[in-house]
Amino acid sequence: MLLHEFNPSIKALTVIVCVLILSLFFDPVTPFLTLVVTAGATFIFGKVSFKRWILLFSPFIFMAIIYIWSALIFSKTIEGETILWTWGIFTLTEEGFQRALSLGMRVLSFTSLSLLFILTTKPTEFLLSLMQQCRLSPKLAYGIMAGYRFLPLMKDEFEIIRSAHRIRGIPKARTLSEKIAELKRYSVPLLAGAIRKAERTAMAMESKGFTGDRNRDFYQKISVSWKDWAYFAFFIGAVLASAYISWLFGFLQLYNGEL
Amino acid sequence: MLEKWKLREVIVLSVLAVVFAVVYLVFMQFGNVLYGMFGLIGYDLIFGIWFIVSIISAYIIRKPGAAFLSETIAAAIEVMIGNAVGPRLILSGMIQGIGAEAVFAAAKWNNYRTWVLIAAGMGSSVTSFIWGYFISGYAALSPDYVTAMFFVRLISGALLAGLLGKWLSESLAKTGALNSFPIGKELRREKSQNGITS
Repeated sequence: MLLHEFNPSIKALTVIVCVLILSLFFDPVTPFLTLVVTAGATFIFGKVSFKRWILLFSPFIFMAIIYIWSALIFSKTIEGETILWTWGIFTLTEEGFQRALSLGMRVLSFTSLSLLFILTTKPTEFLLSLMQQCRLSPKLAYGIMAGYRFLPLMKDEFEIIRSAHRIRGIPKARTLSEKIAELKRYSVPLLAGAIRKAERTAMAMESKGFTGDRNRDFYQKISVSWKDWAYFAFFIGAVLASAYISWLFGFLQLYNGEL
Repeated sequence: MLEKWKLREVIVLSVLAVVFAVVYLVFMQFGNVLYGMFGLIGYDLIFGIWFIVSIISAYIIRKPGAAFLSETIAAAIEVMIGNAVGPRLILSGMIQGIGAEAVFAAAKWNNYRTWVLIAAGMGSSVTSFIWGYFISGYAALSPDYVTAMFFVRLISGALLAGLLGKWLSESLAKTGALNSFPIGKELRREKSQNGITS
């Protein structure tokens, strides 16, 4: 049983609910344990290669480090906490250090949950599922699919505009104001072209009988079964179990009115 | 809500969302550099850019829901392209879109003057900040720093979303690509009036 086979809407819901639950905790252990479980699931049940995973994951390690140092320097000190170190106006407490670490771990646990979704879900299936399970309007869903197909076209168009500029002898932008002008020279024709193409696409869709009616049938049917809810329960359970283990070892730190 | 929309408008909305989803992804890299230079507040400096599609679509299409839907779709497309922030980004997009939409709603969806566009950008700043406060745990930071972050984001929303969005939409209208949309009609009306007087 691969993770790719589960219902995409339920998978997305799982990630969002897990993220919301994790946001309630301010200790580093809970998100860390969640990270281990989700990353493990991605490799074992998702058959995702570690190389691909780490490539997407690594920028967030950097982000987590920034988070930690920002939270350290600008941490809030609450009276009665154990002071580890003071320097000028900066005070570092043990609890502050834990909170900073927890924010960093939080970024990483969110990322692992997201990668679990992204690396095991096809975009088209996600949209079909949103239409069939979440009553997303077909007008919008097929509109998004059409828009999504524009991406490679726009890349080609960008190349064309660049060649056209080069043929007409526009020099390479050097100063900042030249760079801004260059940005405009690219973005306006790209957008204008995309909008014209969008209007033509809409016309083509309508001429082939697309009405955007909700009462339509689908070639590819996407369903929800008990297995999908088991998936949901497993990951929510994993987050709650992480919090429980953290509590057992006395790390658990809930949000307690630290406004 | 969508029943009153023409398919043409829906597709143009989606395409705008696709273009800006790519812009948003690029700016994430840029944001990370600022992050490294200034810490958390670095992101707030350019946070406004992530609201720009709301302003542009609302200004072009001028229908209830344009600001909200475009931001939500842009977020969904980012997820489809493979942004590792993942499905929660869709929620963030909705929340940012609601901020701008609320301002357009307060203007009864028929006032698209500069100050309304600026206020809409700031509206997204406010809602996105409340969301960030919860999800990124700003409660653990010193209140002074959080206040500074908020004001930086507010200004960024006004400039990078409100003003830049207005400017970009108008440059686009001048190409004639938006002639069948309210913004294009407005531009032509202004032009013909000027033509008569001068």
